[in-house]
Amino acid sequence: MNEQPSLLDELPGELMIWVLIISELLVFGAGLAAFLAVRLTDPIGFAEAQDHLHRTGAALNTIVLVTSGFLAAKALHWREVAQRAKARFALISAAALGVVFLIIKGMEYADKAALGIGPETNAFFTFYYLLTGFHAAHVVAGIVILLLVTWKDDPRNIETGAQFWHMVDLVWVILFPVVYLLG
Amino acid sequence: MKTDTLSKAWIWLIALSGGSAVVAVFVEQGMDRRIAGSVILALALLKSRTILSRYLGLSEAPSWRRGFNMVLTFYCVVLLGLYLIGGSVS
Repeated sequence: MNEQPSLLDELPGELMIWVLIISELLVFGAGLAAFLAVRLTDPIGFAEAQDHLHRTGAALNTIVLVTSGFLAAKALHWREVAQRAKARFALISAAALGVVFLIIKGMEYADKAALGIGPETNAFFTFYYLLTGFHAAHVVAGIVILLLVTWKDDPRNIETGAQFWHMVDLVWVILFPVVYLLG
Repeated sequence: MKTDTLSKAWIWLIALSGGSAVVAVFVEQGMDRRIAGSVILALALLKSRTILSRYLGLSEAPSWRRGFNMVLTFYCVVLLGLYLIGGSVS
């Protein structure tokens, strides 16, 4: 007798990467909702603090991550059609854009430090450092994973690595507008 | 996933990101922040749906895509509600 495929079988890639993706989305989702909930207590203070953020740099970082995600997706496509060299180049380029993201983020943190702004300045900046710092840690992890799957370039490995990277991208496209733009 | 689909998704994401930047500029020039916030969150929702569908491959798993889209839409409505309740500062 033929067994019907379960709903879980429909998910692209490994089940465990989806468990990780959903877990991460829930953690960041709760953090961003808490950020807006705390904003209710001091909307003017949050708006003033937000004006200290470098929106252009963060917008540029969105372009950087989105492009990096595109390259990771292309890498999987190229590996599946046996274009290994192209796939590896795309993965390294995606990782390099991850480094660019971190450099821009680092400049932003350095700018805040020069102004004497830190995680304890006020509630806004506590959330700002917590959320963007945790996200940056995921970018670091993603870069390591992308380089790892460039080395061990089995299509399934690349798919899993790229999916992790897309999750990092996905979190950023929600985090950026909430933290940087909703004043 | 076809390479054309990936390229189109990338262009779409860049366009949506550009849209967010334009709205942010309009806010600086006095646009109503409640409208701006709604548009910005709508653009973020569209971006996240595109990443899920095209990059994470949920376009090939319609049931999962529907589920993710539903939860994400609900979540963005909650965020928008919190933003509007908090009031926008001119």
